[in-house]
Amino acid sequence: MDITDLFNMSQPEGDKQKELIRQLAILGIKNPSLCFQCAKCTSGCEAMKLLELQPHSIMASVKTGFIEEVANSDVIWTCIGCYKCKERCPQEMSPVEVMFILKNWYVASGKSIPGDYQNLLQGILSKGYIQEPLEVLDKNNEKWNRRKLGLSDLNYPKNMNSFMSALTELAAEKL
Amino acid sequence: MAKELGLYPGCVMSTEQYAYELSIKNVIPDFNIKLVDLDNTSCCGAPIRSINLLMQMYLAARNIAICEEKGLDMYAPCSLGHLSLTETKNRLNNSKELREKIVKKLKEKEGLEYKGEIRIYHTVDLLYDIIGLEKIKKKVKKPVKWKIACHYGCHTVRYTDAGRPDRAEHPNKMEEIIKAIGGETWNYSEKLNCCGGPLMVTHREAALTKAGEKLKAIKDRGFDAIAIVCPYGGRMLDGRQDKAASTIGEKLGVPVFYLTQLIGLAIGKKPEELGLHLNLSPVDKLI
Repeated sequence: MDITDLFNMSQPEGDKQKELIRQLAILGIKNPSLCFQCAKCTSGCEAMKLLELQPHSIMASVKTGFIEEVANSDVIWTCIGCYKCKERCPQEMSPVEVMFILKNWYVASGKSIPGDYQNLLQGILSKGYIQEPLEVLDKNNEKWNRRKLGLSDLNYPKNMNSFMSALTELAAEKL
Repeated sequence: MAKELGLYPGCVMSTEQYAYELSIKNVIPDFNIKLVDLDNTSCCGAPIRSINLLMQMYLAARNIAICEEKGLDMYAPCSLGHLSLTETKNRLNNSKELREKIVKKLKEKEGLEYKGEIRIYHTVDLLYDIIGLEKIKKKVKKPVKWKIACHYGCHTVRYTDAGRPDRAEHPNKMEEIIKAIGGETWNYSEKLNCCGGPLMVTHREAALTKAGEKLKAIKDRGFDAIAIVCPYGGRMLDGRQDKAASTIGEKLGVPVFYLTQLIGLAIGKKPEELGLHLNLSPVDKLI
């Protein structure tokens, strides 16, 4: 019995790890097992200083099969999605996209969606955009909207019902 | 004949960052490019990557299909939008499984034919690679002689494999454009730092701190102003500059311009045609 077996015994998440690797492959991203923990991702991470995100630790966890631990932690929601980790990884790994997938799982498991994501999603499902055109104030507190500025009206999906039904059907499918 | 491009509005530019849209619509056509409004468009999917990647790719692909049906290449001025669209185009080309799933759904639900063959431009490559510095230089009437820091924004330059308008680590197309319109610019250590924009959804304070730190760095390095090319950058560095300043406990007051506004000023457009009255940072102290 070696150390890998011990990990598997204490945290039997081999299936989840396989599923993660499968989903990454669909997106054209390599298996996290190739990560050699150089921590270049963490050294450049935009969320490291303020929010203590350490992408290389995330990679270490998923590589050793501790998926659920990461998927349920708040830390994956601190990722800004700046893609520096993906850009700079010498092994062509993508911590940012590992976190996107795990956040997708978190949401699919029915847990409440953090922050304002619920509003963004609601906006898209009901209008097609994250928000409706806002009336904005200039420095003199004068109000402006698209029409007053001479901009054409914003166009929306022509058939909102089929647009929404496409999205809700996809939400129930696996990547 | 003028080159025609479908103008993809995206969410943030078309619902609040009107200065970007106004300056694009009043400046780009001067360079023999006709911008065509697209109907039936929606969000590009980027804001809900964390929620569901299939939904993100569907949204991106549907907007590509809409522009494709018009027989036009696309101009997507939002950096997040541009990334979402180009990345999805690549992914659907590389994965048969994904392509089938998304293409089938587009056809079945919305009657859209997806091919994924069009070119998708961003402000930076449209200005630098398609229009070109020479044509821009020729039109300059009133050089903008300020010291201008270029803020590319994360998604303008990353990630390389998705096909970006400029290089990930050493982008310089914006600087070249700034020089072409009479400005002075140089590299600074914080150039590639994030504005914090996407973090507003979950961690407001941290997002504003990031914006504040970036602005402070630019101010401390002696720049007069910042040039941006992403509506998220506009939201954070211009729209929320006061909040960012109070979050980090500093006085900032850094004028923030969209690159298209600066070009507009240089080629002699009126400030209101460029939406400069909508910038909330102190742009008036320069113009």
